[in-house]
Parts: sequence; structure tokens; C-alpha cells
Amino acid sequence: MGTSKPTGDTATAIAVLSGATVLGGVALALRQPRAPANDTRASLLPWVERSKAPAVPPLDSKATVRAARRLNRAAGTIAASVLVDSAIEHYRGAFHNEAMVTPLISASLSLLASVHGTADDRRGAHVARDLVYAAAGLTGLVGTGFHIYNISRKPGGFSWQNLFYSAPLGAPAAISLSGMLGFLSERLRNNTTDSRPTILGRPAGRVIGLMTSLGLMGTVGEAGLLHFRGAYHNPAMYLPVTMPPIAAALLGASALGEAGRRKPLTRWWLRFTALLGFVGSGFHIIGVARNMGGWRNWKQNLLDGPPIPAPPSFTGLALAGLAALGLLEDHPDD
Amino acid sequence: MSDPLAAPRAIQGRAPDVFREGGWVEMREFSESEAVDFVVIGTGAGGGPLITRLAEQGFSVVGFDAGPYFRPLEDFASDETAQNQLYWLDERIVDGENPIRMGGNNSGKAVGGSTVHFAMVSLRFRPEWFKSRSLLGYGADWPLDWREMWDYYGKAERALSISGPVTYPWGPKRPRYPYRAHEMNGAAEVLARGAEAMGYKWSPTPLATVSAPRGDSPPCVYRGFCRFGCSTNAKQSQLVAFIPRALAAGAEIRDLAMVGRIETGADGRATGVHYFREGRWRFQRARNVVVAGYAIETPRLLLNSANDRYPDGLANSSGLVGRNLMTQSNQAVYGSMKDEVRWNKGPPSLSITEHWNYDDRKDFFGGYCWMAQGPLPIEWVTVLTGSLGLWGEQLRERMKNYNHQVGVKMVGEMLPNENNRVTLADETDQYGLRIPRITYSWGDNDKALVAHALDKMQTSMELAGVRDTFQQVDDTNHLAGTARMGSDPRSSVVNADCRSWDIPNLWVCDGSIFPTTGGVNPSLTISAIALRTADRIKALADRGEL
Ligand SMILES: Cc1cc2nc3c(=O)[nH]c(=O)nc-3n(C[C@H](O)[C@H](O)[C@H](O)COP(=O)(O)OP(=O)(O)OC[C@H]3O[C@@H](n4cnc5c(N)ncnc54)[C@H](O)[C@@H]3O)c2cc1C
Ligand code: SF4
Repeated sequence: MGTSKPTGDTATAIAVLSGATVLGGVALALRQPRAPANDTRASLLPWVERSKAPAVPPLDSKATVRAARRLNRAAGTIAASVLVDSAIEHYRGAFHNEAMVTPLISASLSLLASVHGTADDRRGAHVARDLVYAAAGLTGLVGTGFHIYNISRKPGGFSWQNLFYSAPLGAPAAISLSGMLGFLSERLRNNTTDSRPTILGRPAGRVIGLMTSLGLMGTVGEAGLLHFRGAYHNPAMYLPVTMPPIAAALLGASALGEAGRRKPLTRWWLRFTALLGFVGSGFHIIGVARNMGGWRNWKQNLLDGPPIPAPPSFTGLALAGLAALGLLEDHPDD
Repeated sequence: MSDPLAAPRAIQGRAPDVFREGGWVEMREFSESEAVDFVVIGTGAGGGPLITRLAEQGFSVVGFDAGPYFRPLEDFASDETAQNQLYWLDERIVDGENPIRMGGNNSGKAVGGSTVHFAMVSLRFRPEWFKSRSLLGYGADWPLDWREMWDYYGKAERALSISGPVTYPWGPKRPRYPYRAHEMNGAAEVLARGAEAMGYKWSPTPLATVSAPRGDSPPCVYRGFCRFGCSTNAKQSQLVAFIPRALAAGAEIRDLAMVGRIETGADGRATGVHYFREGRWRFQRARNVVVAGYAIETPRLLLNSANDRYPDGLANSSGLVGRNLMTQSNQAVYGSMKDEVRWNKGPPSLSITEHWNYDDRKDFFGGYCWMAQGPLPIEWVTVLTGSLGLWGEQLRERMKNYNHQVGVKMVGEMLPNENNRVTLADETDQYGLRIPRITYSWGDNDKALVAHALDKMQTSMELAGVRDTFQQVDDTNHLAGTARMGSDPRSSVVNADCRSWDIPNLWVCDGSIFPTTGGVNPSLTISAIALRTADRIKALADRGEL
């Protein structure tokens, strides 16, 4: 019996998940970090700056391609999240507008391109991937435009009510993010062997870091809006509006600050943010159970409960952030 | 599954766990021969919070309700007719020029009271209404200060996890509602378009059903059976939001327990209550008695408790027990839309305009609001036959268009009038108790208010593109009055603490203490006052003034 706190299975599930999260965090923290090529001193205390001296820049094209592949992986994670999420949401909306299949196609293609890219260790941009990613970016922009138009037609216009319940602004933006990361990955691959990687003439690590940081903030905005709609009824709902903004700030600072330095705090914060994406799905699974009929009524509650596939967007962005951080750490550009 | 109406469920040290099928929770039981600190008669909007807070403050409390102890997950059918079990349908006589139709529209009979089937609209009074006599020139002043009420409204809203808009467009600033407003359905959007066309503000309605999980309550599933008992527990009725708390704090609830008479002793104080349960009359001794049976049953019980010492009934030295009964005008304008509306989806009143509660440019007293509507099919047939006289083939055709229907319904303030009253008839009911006679006539002001509202609602609907509009001109709903509070024993029954002037250990804590009824639904105000009363009782007890 609970009028303010859940009891029974739900309470147990929340406790188990919270416990598992803490354990996961501890396991992650105790893990022997993979030492960068030029730094063999591993630290168990990630928050302690290990090295004051700038690392030696390896100018290694393998590292550049590795970063590009990581970006493909990040783009793919987000695409997968968008694919499943928009499939569920637009199924819920009964695909009443034909355009509602577009994000499914675009996210599927982006996912395929990303899988391909993740496996591809060649340099040089791939035309098909490039096209797919560019299309994803565009789809997201057009989708956002559509959703904005839908809101503007509702009584009340851009009111909280319509931001909560009309077509969400953040969802199409996520497919843009996937496209953007993939597109950046292709640009990265276009760098010649011995130079410091650049994108549009700017240091690649900085560009990717900054864009990812902005992407994180956008995603925080979306999670914040929807969790506000849910009245933050579970304290864990504050996590995605507190952890990722710090990750975004740290990453942003790294992207704008001095390159070629180890940033253990930023790295760890990004890793936890990546973990948070999956933990979020876990909480959403419990959230679905808290709807009428719980998982026995999954057909309805998968649609009406919190979106299980959405939180891994944070994982995707954090992975991109880590890729950017790798580039920043390896390439002092001044 | 047992029949909730056949035998009491809250017995032998346990009561139904409303959140689990077949589950039970422990319940403390008090002996009849030992006086408990408080007996509370009625467990609804007033009784529920009062029982809870008294128990939580350490008093021994027994709550009585004539109605059954429902298990929402099991007992509530998605069936308009089956759910008649929720209403107080005992025999009553109605007369006057505008007899009030009694039953589903205005009185519940269940643990949780009328809130088990109420429509969950949870609104605050306009502050001036607490002083409508001195500030607005009609009715009577309340002995309460609106600022203090603002605090208690906040407490009631938190206790009920009201889901409301981020900012409410009327009245003084209020804290943010604990939960966000619900998504609006098609009918609510039509109201919004109509209001915008009239230049009025509108808002999603603050509702007592959760838009996100709360404790063991799942979020609302928008099936729209709210007024027939919510079978998910999303609805924060007193049965779900308060009574479990009361039990956990050590209160006892006695269901299917009809209180027939309050006993007074040689010193004139109340000594306990006679009640009918499990086939026989019993007596529970008590140090204090609180009546919370709503505007008909409260005066009826006070009048039925007349004895040699109090020949006109208890707490009735002013002669006002049963007088100043008020209902609220509940007229509607309906019509059809070209597009599907599906107005039955979700709680019935998802949007509201309180414009005419706050705009005083009108030539009558009082205010009103109107809300989106979503009557279920049987209720809708009743409206079509009653208001349009449709029958047979015509009715069938119109019913086919159910998903295109739309409408708005008002809640309007009726003025207190001493001649609108509850008295005792000579007939008796199944318990052998004299039944109430309810006399009601609308005044000129009431009629002017209704005419104004119908006109404005009609215009707004037409501006929103509603076709084939028609008016439902004769409906009423919520009740209030009959044991009004005040600051003078000659012109009121209870004081600001809901304590009767005549008998210091007899209290009234429900909708009957309203001196005026305002232009909004009453339950949140009733619950806020109950929370205040519990605090006042504690303060008085601490000072030794009980
Ligand atoms: C269909 C409907 C919809 C409504 N919608 C809204 C709404 O949306 N918003 C709103 O604010 N209000 C609404 N109301 C009104 C609201 O429910 C009532 O104003 C409120 O519940 C009254 O509170 P109360 O404590 O005075 O009485 P109630 O809640 O009616 O509780 C009284 C209880 O006392 C019991 N009782 C009475 N006499 C005795 C006795 N002698 N012995 C034992 N038990 C007794 C009854 O069984 C009942 O359970 C609605 C009412 C109805 C009927
Ligand atoms: S619409 Fe919501 S509040 Fe109404 S009965 Fe259904 S779940 Fe309960």
C-alpha cells in the first residue's frame, strides 16, 4: 500500500537497478584504463590529473581512423535509439501522416551506414555513407520544422502544454545528431596521413567536441522537458538533467581549451554519461511496469510508458565525446 | 470476489488494500465501550482528510461510512449502469419550484464519499468569495482568511497530487501543481478555440488524477470512466489518497455503517453515535463527534438527533441547520463537429475557462466557469431525449454521430436562500430513520446567471465551429450549505474551526459548512478546510480547549 512511494515489486526493481548502477559505476572505475600509446602510467584515481606535461603528439593516421570509427559507432547508437523510438511513437500516432515513415527509413540507413563505417578502417570518406548521413541531418531538420508547425497550429501555441504533448521537438533533432556525427566521421577520414586532422580547416577534435557538447545540451533539453512533464516523480529522473550537462561543459571546455592534455575527469564523466544512457533504459523499463497492468499489458504500456529506446542517445553522444576527447588529447594544435 | 454491499469488509483487524487485488492492510480496531477521541461520520472530501490528519496527529479516530468499501481494481466495471452502486440512492423527497434531481449527480455513498465518482476537477475559490458579502455585495462572509486558505489549498493539492497547468491564468499566484496537466482531448481543444475566439483565457483543468506514477497509483489511462469509479487508481479519490494513510496512522474505518443518531449526555455534550451495522444498531462512545455526511445527510442527522434537551435538532439554536442549501447550475451547450472529437476519451473536463469568475462586468451576483464535456453514451442519450426530445429513429441517427459531438458545461454559483432547505419528512427509510425533504427554488439572480452563461457558451461554441448547437437548460450538480460557518452564533451553525456553536464537542466538516458556494467545483475547498480543521483541533487540544 503506497500513496506516495511505490511498494512491492516496483520498489524492489528500483532498488535493484539503483544498486546495479552503483556497482556498474564502481566496476567501471576500477577497470584498468587502456593506457594511451604514450602514457603507460595508469591511475586508479581518474579524477587526479595524471600528467601535467603535454603528451607527445603521435600524429598517427591509425588513431584518426580509429576516432572516425568511434564516431560511426556513436552515430549508429543514436540512429538505433531514434529508429526504435520513432517506430514506437509513430506507430502510436498510427502513421496518420505518410511523412511519418521518413525517420524510420532515414534512421535505418544511418544505422546501416554506421555499422559499415564502424567496421571500415580505411581512410577517405565513403560516398554512400556521406549521402546517408547528409540525408539524416536533413530529415531531422525537416522533421523539426514539421513538429514546430504542428505546435503552432494548436490552441495555446508554444505553451508548456503543447511542448509536452504535441509532436516533440527534440526527437527529429536526434536523427540530425546521428547524421552530423556520421558526417563528421567522414570528414575525419578525409585527412591525410601525417597532418593533424582537421574539419573545414579547424582542428577536428575541437569541432567534434564542440558539436557533441551542443548535441548533449539539446538532448538534455528534451529529457528535461519530458521529465518535467513527469513531474520528476522519481529522483533518478534528475540524473539526465544533471550529469550530461556537466559532461557537455567539461567537453566544451576541453574543446575550447588547451589541447594535447590528458583530461581524466572529462573522460570519466563522459564514460558515466555513456553508462547513464543504458541505466536510463533500465529505469524506463521499470517505468513501464508502473503503468496500469505493468508488463502484462506491454502492448499498451510500451506505447504509453516512458520510452525505453530514448536514453541511449546519451550513450551515443558520450561515445562521440570520447572520440573527440581522444583527438584532443592526442593532437595539441598550438 | 465478495460483494462489497453484502457485508462489511473492514472488520477483524484488516481492511481492503485498494492497490492490490485481494490484498489486505492491517487496521486498528477500537472498542465500542471505550470513548475514542473522534468519531467522524462520512469519509468523503471532508471526512477523509480529517480522519487522516487526526490519526496522524495521534488521536484515536473511527470513521463511519454508510457506503461500502470498494476495491477499485476489482469492483469497478466499465459500465455506466452497473456503477449505480456508487451513488446515494436512498429515498428522498424533493420539492420546490426547481426540485433537485438527487443521486449520481450529487451524492456518493462509499468509503471515500462522493470523491469515488467525482469528476476530479480541483479548483480554488476566487479569494474575494471568502468575503462575498463585504467585498462583492451578496451572500455571506466566511470567517476564514483567503491567505490562510491559500496555504491549505496548497496542502490539499499536494496530498492529492493534483495534475495542473504550469501556470494558472486566474487569481493570485499559487505554487506549482505537484503533477503536470494532462494532455487535452478533442473536446478540450474545442473549448480552447472557443475561448480564444471570445478573447477569454483558458487553461488545462487541474485534476485529481495523476499524469505520472505516484506511489502505487499508475498514471491515468484516459478511458474516461472517471465518474463511474476509476478502476486503475490513477484517480486520487479519498479512498486512494487519504484512507490508506489514515489506516496506516491507526484510524479505524467502519464501512456499511449508517449513523442514525448522535447521543448527547446530561451536560449537553455529545457522547457517541448510534449506528447500524451487520444487521443491528450499536453504539460507539466518543469524546468528539464530527459530522461529514454532505449537505443533505449532515443536516438530516443533526435534525434526526433531536432530543428533549435539543428539541429542534443538534447545533440548531440559530435555526439554520438545513437552511441555505445551495446547488450549482450545471447547464450545457452541445453540438457537433465536422471532424471526429471523441469526447469520451480521457477525464471529462480537461480544459476550463474561469473568465466569468474573475470578470465582474455583469448585472447579477456570483460567477461561473465552464468546462469541456465528455458524457458516456447512456448519459448522452439522456441528454438527447431530455433536452431535444429525440426518440426512436432520430435518436438512433444522432447517436451514430457520437464521436462528433462536443460540448461545454458550466459550474455556476447559486446564491444562498434560507428557504432552500433540508427538513425531515414523515416517511422513514430502510433503517427506520426519517428521510430528508429537499426543497429548492431558483432565485432571479440564479436565473440571470444561467441565461448569461448559456449565451456566452453558445457564442463561444459557434465561434469554434460547432454546428447544430442546443442547450441543456435545467441541470444542477454539487451541493453546499445547510450548516454554514460564520463568526456569529445567531447567523451560523459552526465557527471557523468547524466547531458547532452550541455543542463544543460536535463538529461539522464537509460541504455543508459553505456560507456561499462560489463558481467552481467545491471538493478542493472542502478538503482544504478539513486539513485546516485538523490543525486547529490539534492546536486547541494542545491548549486544553477541546
Ligand atoms: C458525479 C459527481 C461529480 C463531481 N465532480 C466534482 C468535481 O469534479 N470537482 C469537485 O470539486 N467536486 C465534484 N463533485 C462534488 C464533490 O464530490 C463533493 O462536493 C464532495 O465530495 C463533498 O464532500 P463531503 O465530504 O461533503 O461529502 P461526500 O464526499 O459526499 O462524503 C459523504 C459521505 O458520508 C457518508 N454518510 C452520509 N451520511 C452518513 C451517515 N449518516 N452515516 C454514515 N455515513 C454517512 C456517505 O456515504 C458519503 O460517503 C462531484 C460530485 C458528483 C456526485
Ligand atoms: S480516465 Fe483516468 S482517472 Fe478517469 S477512470 Fe480512466 S484512468 Fe481513471
